[in-house]
Amino acid sequence: MNKIIIVNDEIKEKTVDDNIKLELLEKNILFDVNSLKFKVLKDTSLIIEYDSTEKTKLDLFFDVDKDVNFNIYEIRKGIETKVQYKYYLQANSNTNVFKFYYGDRIRELDIINLNGIDAKINYNFKTISSKHQKYDMMIYHNYKNTYSNIYNRGLNIEDGELVFNVTSIVDNGKVDCVINQNNRIINMNNRKCKINPNLLIEENDVEANHSALIGKFSDEELFYLQSRGITKEDAQALLVKGFLLSGLEGEFKEIVENIIDNRR
Amino acid sequence: MHTLIIKDLCVEIENKQILKDFNLQINSGEIHAIMGPNGTGKSTLSKVIMGDPTYKVTKGSIMYDGKELINMSVDERARLGIFLGMQLPLDIEGVTNADFLRTAVHQKLGNEFKLFDFIKDIEKTYDKLSLNRNMIHRGVNVGFSGGERKKNEIVQMYMLKPSMVMLDEIDSGLDVDSLKIVGDSVMDYYGVEKPGILLITHYQRLLDYIKPDYVHIMMNGHIVKSGDASLVKYIEENGYGNIDEKKVSSIGSCVIKENIADE
Repeated sequence: MNKIIIVNDEIKEKTVDDNIKLELLEKNILFDVNSLKFKVLKDTSLIIEYDSTEKTKLDLFFDVDKDVNFNIYEIRKGIETKVQYKYYLQANSNTNVFKFYYGDRIRELDIINLNGIDAKINYNFKTISSKHQKYDMMIYHNYKNTYSNIYNRGLNIEDGELVFNVTSIVDNGKVDCVINQNNRIINMNNRKCKINPNLLIEENDVEANHSALIGKFSDEELFYLQSRGITKEDAQALLVKGFLLSGLEGEFKEIVENIIDNRR
Repeated sequence: MHTLIIKDLCVEIENKQILKDFNLQINSGEIHAIMGPNGTGKSTLSKVIMGDPTYKVTKGSIMYDGKELINMSVDERARLGIFLGMQLPLDIEGVTNADFLRTAVHQKLGNEFKLFDFIKDIEKTYDKLSLNRNMIHRGVNVGFSGGERKKNEIVQMYMLKPSMVMLDEIDSGLDVDSLKIVGDSVMDYYGVEKPGILLITHYQRLLDYIKPDYVHIMMNGHIVKSGDASLVKYIEENGYGNIDEKKVSSIGSCVIKENIADE
């Protein structure tokens, strides 16, 4: 499997085969940002391990060719990152994004362009927010019959403040698009958390769903687990784990599970 | 021998009284069925015994093996051996049945917990309840049908081996075949472990499989009539309308305050 390790705004290690063409773009002097461009040519997967030891900015571009299945698995930690992702997904491509973050301060902009018929993205994002984190996502359905499924989960702890702004856009004429947004934040402190789910749809012939929920674990869930003899503390830990592991599978799930166990 | 004694229990929620001077005693090996009209406090009773913090106990006591439960947490009560099979089992996203039960059994057994035995037991129990083993690794009740959820409650009972079992409308949502599987499984467990059992049900059909020693009719937050299994037939034929709340009777080991007062 392809793998890159990024520390701050530089690649420290990389194992990339012929299925992906990786390009380091010229540094944007004005904004002082390094950029990495991934051209995905054939079915493949990519693991990204990203750590920031200082305040860091980075841009990443993913161009997924037509008919290609592409999986991204990203783990991010560190002090402070400001990252922009741009996805260009061509016809009949299928992109699955799995991300787990446990960094301090994060600002992120994700721009997803579904540029060809039957282009699909499944986006499964989990974060533990212990400082300030803000995520802006723009999903452009630029072609008919495109599909986006955005599944964001945030656990807000300690001094955390967490914001999800998620906007799906369908212009007139882009028929038969399917849009799902499912955003949830468990707020374990009393600081500010916000979800802004936006559906900007001009076309009538689309299927669009969204749900947004900010809250704590329910008393009913805790009662159910405790009624089997599990202490309140362990019941909460189980719920946290379940919340952050939902929708993850295989080796990536095991890695995330280990991180959660070690943080407890 | 385990004994649950509920004495003069009064319970309210949002200033509305649900249980009024409720009295009942259940010993190991006894099967009690509670029936009654909707909204009379049957499910509240089971949740209060389990310690649901939603409800406020304003008076009375719940003793289990001589220990007062009222100030105990839900998990402490469960570890004493009390189990509630719920009317509407929740689904919990991301927490697998395996993780959930492994945590629960581990906390009960402590150092005696053996993972290999646990895996064997859970697979055997899923087979017994005719549940697909793949469901062990799915989220707790996630995507389960109503009947599968009820069976999953019985799986949990088998795995935790409680000495006092409360089953709240465990028959609802079950088809005929599933009802037989659940009924037979509860009786198999009863045959081996001899727990005290408190059944809450609306229908005779569950009692065809799980034969109660005592049947209690509950109305307006307390027991108004107690009898043997023949009382179920009487209710089926005559409904609850003919039960005279003022003429309270009791049998066996049931403690009913009104009768004690009459004496």
